[in-house]
Amino acid sequence: MAELPGKGLVHGLKVTFDNLTRRSITQQYPDVKPDLPPRTRGVIALFEENCTVCMLCARECPSWCIYIDSHKETAQPSEPGARERSHNVLDRFAIDYSLCMYCGICVEVCPFDALFWSPEFEYATTDIADLTHEKDTLREWMWTVPAPPAVDDGAEPPKELGVAEKAAARVRPRSEEDARSGPEAGA
Amino acid sequence: MTTERIVSLGAGAAGLTSTGAGTGTPASGPGGPLSYERGGGAELATQDMVLNIGPQHPATHGVLRLRLTLDGERIVTCEPIIGYMHRGAEKLFEVRDYRQIIMLANRHDWLSAFANELGVVLAVERMLGMEVPVRAVWARMLLAELNRILNHLMFLGSYPLEIGAITPIFYAFRERETLQQVMEEISGGRMHYMFNRVGGLKEDLPAGWLDRVTAAVTAVRRRLPELTNLIFGNEIFAARTRGVGVLSPALVHAYGVSGPIARASGVDFDLRRDEPYLAYTELFGPGGPGRVVTRSEGDCFARFSLLREQVQVSLDLAEACVDRLRSLPPGPVNVRLPKILKAPEGHTYAWTESPLGLNGYFLVSRGEKTPWRLKLRSASFNNIAVLPELLPGCVIADLVAILGSMFFVVGDIDK
Repeated sequence: MAELPGKGLVHGLKVTFDNLTRRSITQQYPDVKPDLPPRTRGVIALFEENCTVCMLCARECPSWCIYIDSHKETAQPSEPGARERSHNVLDRFAIDYSLCMYCGICVEVCPFDALFWSPEFEYATTDIADLTHEKDTLREWMWTVPAPPAVDDGAEPPKELGVAEKAAARVRPRSEEDARSGPEAGA
Repeated sequence: MTTERIVSLGAGAAGLTSTGAGTGTPASGPGGPLSYERGGGAELATQDMVLNIGPQHPATHGVLRLRLTLDGERIVTCEPIIGYMHRGAEKLFEVRDYRQIIMLANRHDWLSAFANELGVVLAVERMLGMEVPVRAVWARMLLAELNRILNHLMFLGSYPLEIGAITPIFYAFRERETLQQVMEEISGGRMHYMFNRVGGLKEDLPAGWLDRVTAAVTAVRRRLPELTNLIFGNEIFAARTRGVGVLSPALVHAYGVSGPIARASGVDFDLRRDEPYLAYTELFGPGGPGRVVTRSEGDCFARFSLLREQVQVSLDLAEACVDRLRSLPPGPVNVRLPKILKAPEGHTYAWTESPLGLNGYFLVSRGEKTPWRLKLRSASFNNIAVLPELLPGCVIADLVAILGSMFFVVGDIDK
């Protein structure tokens, strides 16, 4: 028997009809915010207090979109005769998001945990120049940074944990020694 | 080219014969016998018309420009003019270190970002003689297969759209969204994953992620028949694609066409089986879930239906990877790298089976922290190069069907 003409079309329409009877999966975006995973690379936030102006992020950035200005300040010596201590003070930290390629290398290389990814994404502007965000805006985004997700059971423990345990093991014997030697010294 | 020739009115539309359409035989030159029928006699003198399709045109996706010479409705010659999206990726590679290169490499073919990253890191790892942790190998393979499904779903949706069937893209994108959610959860990106590193992956899998991958893969597998029923039996779609744009195996070999397009012409070649990287040896070995899908017809429909079956295979492979990842002993997913990573002096060529075809990186290093040269062999460039052989003799209406079935990404052509 010859196939009925238009059978394939009817098959397609049946799929459409089946879906017509199911619930829609529309996201009510502006009213309901999407639930984004914590690793989402939405925007880079700056934890300004941690920044030491080491410039690693600006140097490693493949599109050179991080601008950092700083100056040195010398603090008065804490005791007479000691050397003057100088430290860097951050004047300007800006990321030009019109150049940024969202690769996350800056977040990865930061040795002092001053840069973080945030899933925040609603910062579109009508002028490209407005996409250069200064440190105060970047600092505000810090409040939207989520905690990192727990990792798989098969994962190795984070290296911070190992470092902390080693440090604890190093400190413990000395403090015990201190406790023992303390009263003797006083006697 | 303004050769005067005698053509009747509506020569292309009226005088359709099966010999002219889609066989790749060009219409004969001036004065010679024509390979197709004239509609109504040889009285009218006409001129060839040069028609530019692109760089901005709804029939091409992206900025591919085709300069066609037309004889009525028939295409006499076709010249793809490329380079509108040339970003000089190869030159930019030379001033970026190996971590920064990953960021650039995942952008030339934005639909197979993970596969592109993979090629770069495989090349560098081979130069360094680096052993990648086994969990990273399987996770990479899982992500590469998920990326392949994402890529194929895109074309499974966009190709019918180009031919005029609007509905399938919504179904394809629903499946894409399901998979993209798990990709976003692990890598933080939806397109440019930036998740490969030399020596492994950037971060470990999030807790419970494997369950969500299984759920996503199961959901896609369950709903995929809907996409099949929508378009594969459709008579109009079949009429537009069956027997159109037949690519012969000889042309495949001559032009270095690869990937799904080559396999649809019966060229049984897949690097995952023929020169396995990662742990594909196990998956494509005897008893493994991997198999190479081929078709013999070589027409647009064969290329399209091959994608559909490859999605099925990739879903099987992804499930096998998840199972393996669950059973692997705990361990790292990357190796600790020196502060400044330098590839030793020498050269290597790493090629992988990217969703669109062979994706190769020829890395020449002089021991610096940047490559001296990183040649990129992208799949779409070769796949599109065969168009001048494929299009002559076709009518304009078939151009869209053929062009769409060549499954290319303009960024991958222009690099």
